[in-house]
Amino acid sequence: MIVAQLAVNGILLGGVLALSALGFNIIFGVMRVVNLAHGDFVVLAAVFTVFAFAQLGINPLLVLPITIGAGFVAGALVHVLLLRRLPGEVASAEASSLTLTFGLSYFLAGAGLATFGGRFVSVPYLTGAYALGGLQIPQAKLLAFAVAVVLSLAFALVLRATRVGRAIRATSQNLDGALACGVDVDRVRTAGFAIGTAVATAAGTLMSFVYNLNVQQGVLFTVNAFAVVVIGGLGNYTGAVLGALILGLTESFASYYAGATLAEAAPYLLFILVLLVAPNGILGRRTA
Amino acid sequence: MRRALIVAAAVAVAALLVIAPHRLNGYGLNLLYVTVLSVGLAYGWNIISGYAGYFSFGQIGFFGVGAYATGLLVADKGWPWMAAAAAGGVLACALSVPLGYVMLRLRGPFFAMGMFGMAQMVRVLVTAIPASGAGAGLFLPPGSGIVEVYYWTLAVAAGAFGITLWLDRSAFGLRLQALREDEQVAGTLGVDATRAKTTAFALSALIPGLLGGGYALFLTYIEPDAAFSSRLDLQSIVMAILGGVGTLWGPLVGALVMTQISEALWARFPQIYLMIFGGLLVVLLIALPRGIVPSVTAAIARRRAHAR
Amino acid sequence: MSGPLLAVDDVSVAFGGVQALSDVSLEVREGEILALIGPNGAGKTTLFNVISGVLRPDRGDVRFNGSSIVGRPSHRIAKAGIARTYQIVRPFARLSVVDNVAVGALVHAPTIARARADAREVVRFVGLGALAERPASSLTLTQRKRLEVARALALRPKLILLDEVMAGLTPTEMDGMAEFVMGLRERGIAAVAGVEHVMRLVMRISHRIVVLDAGRRIAEGDPASIRTNPAVIEAYLGAPLAGA
Repeated sequence: MIVAQLAVNGILLGGVLALSALGFNIIFGVMRVVNLAHGDFVVLAAVFTVFAFAQLGINPLLVLPITIGAGFVAGALVHVLLLRRLPGEVASAEASSLTLTFGLSYFLAGAGLATFGGRFVSVPYLTGAYALGGLQIPQAKLLAFAVAVVLSLAFALVLRATRVGRAIRATSQNLDGALACGVDVDRVRTAGFAIGTAVATAAGTLMSFVYNLNVQQGVLFTVNAFAVVVIGGLGNYTGAVLGALILGLTESFASYYAGATLAEAAPYLLFILVLLVAPNGILGRRTA
Repeated sequence: MRRALIVAAAVAVAALLVIAPHRLNGYGLNLLYVTVLSVGLAYGWNIISGYAGYFSFGQIGFFGVGAYATGLLVADKGWPWMAAAAAGGVLACALSVPLGYVMLRLRGPFFAMGMFGMAQMVRVLVTAIPASGAGAGLFLPPGSGIVEVYYWTLAVAAGAFGITLWLDRSAFGLRLQALREDEQVAGTLGVDATRAKTTAFALSALIPGLLGGGYALFLTYIEPDAAFSSRLDLQSIVMAILGGVGTLWGPLVGALVMTQISEALWARFPQIYLMIFGGLLVVLLIALPRGIVPSVTAAIARRRAHAR
Repeated sequence: MSGPLLAVDDVSVAFGGVQALSDVSLEVREGEILALIGPNGAGKTTLFNVISGVLRPDRGDVRFNGSSIVGRPSHRIAKAGIARTYQIVRPFARLSVVDNVAVGALVHAPTIARARADAREVVRFVGLGALAERPASSLTLTQRKRLEVARALALRPKLILLDEVMAGLTPTEMDGMAEFVMGLRERGIAAVAGVEHVMRLVMRISHRIVVLDAGRRIAEGDPASIRTNPAVIEAYLGAPLAGA
């Protein structure tokens, strides 16, 4: 039953990856900015959660609102203080924001290292597992998966039903149209970045009781989110869920059959493959 | 008259660089080597990212290939050091052709991330070769002095500058820059985009490949984190950006300024080195989005315009 | 030269479920000015993209000087003698005006110095001489339009595709542009001028007119007959004019 077990692991992983990718997608959709510091927010939130649990005994689920709030504020600050200050010239805008988030990534990883140290940590929460017909379903992973699903739906609802959410979607799909409707694009972008980062930190908190992490692994999560979003199609939220599941399954199987190091290469391989074969993702990109 | 002065200055600097290793102590030579290495790496990065406009976050992959190829040829096959280092560069360059065929179809962030991924995959593959010693690293027998390696690196860096000079003045360089500004329009104006970017990519791989070879000889011990060092990667990008992406003198200015700061930081705060560097990059992008050289050139031009 | 300079045969292009062009055919003879008119979205730019090699048609053929150019990369088509301007001007922002034009001049010039010299002449010709060394990003819209034209001319084309070259110009500027297009006739350069509005000016400068609507060719002929063609009027106004 190893295949089934691996599949279960893959799906559970996929759920959390989907949440992480959602944040990444929002930022990309709204601003066409690839946030290379995405994974660092995820990992910092995770490590913070571990410390909150270890030093203060706070249940990781209770840390969730803290990390979501902190992520929201951090995202807003990054946009207002940094990204908005970049020159708007079309030719260099993409490159500048890419490089800025690249620098930010190193900054955050370094700050994390200085604050929390470089050890691998995780929250020892719910270490048991449910046995279901020969399969082991780790409780922690299941909880993370469930919360990730709930949060994804919640954020999706925010995007669909609130004014801010609609403004965000409008700006991603048709900038000129949104401007014509009087949308304050700068504000929307800040909101988008704030929400995107909040989702990332939420995912990080969930990851803290599923995986052993250290602050320097941000890059891995950024690449994972990028891969998911590429596989599913940029700006395509449903696609991202599909992409996350595919990636989760791939990593689960690759880890087992090919060893940890080669499994590390899995997201890269997948996304390069997808970029070449179906550049708009498996489900295609929403018209920009 | 100005021309003569510039040439004289260049010759003086060149002479200094050549004599230097014999006058400096271990630390000084080390610093000089690292400075020259950084200049070379920055120029290499500048070709594909600055002139062609394809920002790459994975050029370190070619550096690592050069380092390991050289290491293996010297340690396993007993090659003379210079031939091994040259072979490292050639191998990296050759690899760039199929890699470029695949990667250069991507643009913007996809290319950047793709190259990052590519570098990681190269690292995984290289360290999977049993002879490379995997995580434990590879020891090189002593066969070249630091001074020789320094000259090698100096020559490659000078070559990289020379290539950039050619790019700045030549028809090919103009085509490449047109491609950077707008690939589609460049095509309809007769620029063979595929050929241009493939060539730029190959040059951008050759340079770090050759430099990586030198690095292996310099360290006499390579392991994955050193050969595929994110620190070096980040540094060369920051240097080129600080100096001015896509300019002739940018990487030199950036590297000269940055190396001193970098070495001082690394000596004092190794723990938060990457953090400071990352923060510095962010601050630079906001304060001097075009980099030192273009900002200075623009300021001079404004002074001149006012003077008229 | 026996056949037409450019022959477009039954070209069809669809994307995302929209049929942008359906079986469009037209011909351009050497030295001829053809006006391609049609409301916004009619497919003019798409057709230009097909001819210049930027887009590959789903069906149909495009022949230039007798040989098929479908599937050829755009740089080869440019070298063969077809130049184009863009409706939304796209200068090489960080390059100087001269360098912008020199890119095209490189096709015929053996050295970059020669290309720049040729480019300077063209830059002077379009009236941007004083701005030659400025970065293209510092130009006004009108100046950028002239730069578009200059870049195309530098290729020494036999055929220029002018996409909405009149858009955004003042009446005086339009007259100037019309003069320029007439000048092309004298130099033996053929042109296809894509315009949205049926203008007196366009009528004056073209030999023939082809009308597109929703991706189809709905009329073709000399200016006088097009003006009174009921299908054309309907396409623009939505209904036949009473008593037309």
